[in-house]
Amino acid sequence: MGVMRRSIIVSALLALVVAACGGGSSDKSQPADGGSNSELPTCPLDALATAAKPVQITYWHAMTRVNEEQLKKLTDKFNASQSDVHVTISGVPSYTDNLTRFRAGLGTGNLPDLMQSEETSLQTMLDSRAILPAQSCLTADHATTDDFVKRIAAYYTVKGALWAMPFNDSNPILYYDKALFQRAGLDPDKPPATLDEVKAAAQQIVQKRIADSGIALKTDTVAFEHWLAKSGHTIVDNDNGRTARATKVTFDDATGEQLFAWIKDMTTSKLALSTAAGGVDHFLAVANGRAAMTIDSSAALGTIDSVLGSGQFKAVKLGVGPMPGPDSPDGGVLVGGAANFIVNKSSPAEQAAAYEFAKYLAEPQVQADWAAATGYVPVRRSSTKLAPLTTVWAQKPGYKVAYDQLLEGPENPATAGPVIGPYGAKGQGVRGAIVDALTRMLTENLAPADAIKDAATKANAAIADYNSRVG
Amino acid sequence: MSADIVATLTPGFAQFLVAIGLLVVGSSVLTVAASFGGGVLARRARMINRYVLLVVLAGIVLFPIYITVVNSFLSPDRIAARPPTLVPPSLDFGVYGKAWNQGHISSYLFNSFVVTFIIVAGQLLTSICAGYAFAYLAFPLKRTIFVVFLATMMVPFEVVFFTNLQTVVSLGKLPAVGQFVGLDTYGALAIPFLAAGFGAFLVRQAFLSLPRDLKDAAELDGYGHWRFMWRVAVPLARPTVAALALFSFFGAWNQYLWPLVASDHYRTVQVGLRQLSRGSLDEINVTFAGTVLAALPLVVLLLVFQKQLVRGLTAGAVKG
Repeated sequence: MGVMRRSIIVSALLALVVAACGGGSSDKSQPADGGSNSELPTCPLDALATAAKPVQITYWHAMTRVNEEQLKKLTDKFNASQSDVHVTISGVPSYTDNLTRFRAGLGTGNLPDLMQSEETSLQTMLDSRAILPAQSCLTADHATTDDFVKRIAAYYTVKGALWAMPFNDSNPILYYDKALFQRAGLDPDKPPATLDEVKAAAQQIVQKRIADSGIALKTDTVAFEHWLAKSGHTIVDNDNGRTARATKVTFDDATGEQLFAWIKDMTTSKLALSTAAGGVDHFLAVANGRAAMTIDSSAALGTIDSVLGSGQFKAVKLGVGPMPGPDSPDGGVLVGGAANFIVNKSSPAEQAAAYEFAKYLAEPQVQADWAAATGYVPVRRSSTKLAPLTTVWAQKPGYKVAYDQLLEGPENPATAGPVIGPYGAKGQGVRGAIVDALTRMLTENLAPADAIKDAATKANAAIADYNSRVG
Repeated sequence: MSADIVATLTPGFAQFLVAIGLLVVGSSVLTVAASFGGGVLARRARMINRYVLLVVLAGIVLFPIYITVVNSFLSPDRIAARPPTLVPPSLDFGVYGKAWNQGHISSYLFNSFVVTFIIVAGQLLTSICAGYAFAYLAFPLKRTIFVVFLATMMVPFEVVFFTNLQTVVSLGKLPAVGQFVGLDTYGALAIPFLAAGFGAFLVRQAFLSLPRDLKDAAELDGYGHWRFMWRVAVPLARPTVAALALFSFFGAWNQYLWPLVASDHYRTVQVGLRQLSRGSLDEINVTFAGTVLAALPLVVLLLVFQKQLVRGLTAGAVKG
């Protein structure tokens, strides 16, 4: 009877309410599935000029600790730099919490003007019908996304329109202990890049009894999703949900099965240590020398650096490498993190003001400051030539890894990433279905082929259910 | 619990289990042996046996609290190390200062106290009045209304969550009072919880168990309902009222979802604690210190009012 379960129930209820409201509304000016570029609503940029100044807006975010402090600094700077717009920020501890209060607000009208929401919530946010596409404002502002990192802009683009202003981006990277690599006779400056190389390295580490396991793997779906993308493989149909609403998953084939088989093989042969999805056990396993590698978001790098910098875990020599995985010429890593959505329920002047702030947060210099302070990937390409980011990257090349791997590979539906309504977390939706199947495969000794089928069946049911309510 | 933690704990944990097993087996053997001796010896041995069992159980229950306190005094790498450190090498209270100031636990605690106080006071007032009405007054549809009161206990909070939210938003639009009860106020945090069917039920049962003659005697002395309630009935039902106060205190203190959505200026301690724990791998001891601070009021209340709580649990069970 935990807080978690309660909030899941409430989220589900709120989702129903939202779906019901959405379905009942006859607002056809903004199709729920995005619509094509020509049907986009117009962005009331002029309203700011005629409004009484300063226009007060609220920004709901989910940044904590260092990130929150940085965001406060940036906001203060913005407020001080001009007198047209004044931003008040309001934070909650997680993206899930932020989305929960946003959904509640759809019914009560208590909504922000600008909303930070994580990448997986994209379809949900579109389906709320409460979003003014960033594209509309860019068009009205005669601005383009040319300087944005292509894949980040691609992620938030559905049916040819950019829906949210990119803000904070991260993706998974390989963390490893160079000291253990050295003792195992592996090159500490050449981390494994493919799944075969990970396995070979793990074998060498375990055989020489350097550590109990080669790699600590979280039992979640993030790595699986990125491996599919790195194989040039979509996760859902209709070009990953970008040309039309997704109707089913596409990973129940040889590619998905191979990835599941790899995870199972690694775990049953004790080369990989399977750790809890939500916690930090995988990091602790590396910190305590029980495993030599692990995979997690690049956003954790700053924190890990400060832990090691404070003189703890002295034996560990941290190495960072690109996310290992299939290296198909058609593939690349996905975009993680969050973006800023302009809320269309606000007054025209507030919508315009929200765009101004979202634009500011994505400016090259702001992104350079932000990325340098937090370890997030800058969403602008020109940020990489600006101080203080250049200085930080020169001193700590590991911070650049996540950015570099975003530039690798082609831009196609597979690398743009999936747009899924019930993307899910905590045992729900598509992710819940995959985690369930993974867990069953590892604990009930299910064959990889059966596990993939199981994951696909449940995921398809979740998508069908969502579409029947919203579509 | 993940495989990792199980694996790392296993050696120490196994020793722990063996020690407990030996203790229990040892005292059982003692009892059996003593029972052959008969009489006083056997009774004393049974007593020892019972206490050993209680001590073991208490140890298991208290261990998570103990290790939380210990961890708050350790550096993060000591917390992560296996085998775990069970006795802190030094007591550095600086970490509590950090949680109190930088972690903003002080203001979270203050908000929680204000909200909890309003909720407890409100629940006591409404429960006592409603309980009294059901116990002593005659009015039409009394049974039906009482059943409706009880029925509200079966409705989970999640079901009325959204309606409550809309109510609070609407209240905020009222002239004059809106600024005290609308979203993002202390009022919003407390209003949905000011009355509880459970409280009315508990108090009614307590009042019904009071001798009827008291009411008659009070009436002869010229006491009206109001004076009888506050001067006679409530003081006599004090254990129940105290238990109700505790229950509503715990309920109000531990809320998460409602305070999260209903307000962000007045962040309560549970929401704040989650904020503190997010991404704090580097200062995980501060999170532990914050947890201890957030739990402290509950622990103190439990220790002080333990008797009332136990009595409250059985209140109304037997009509006396």
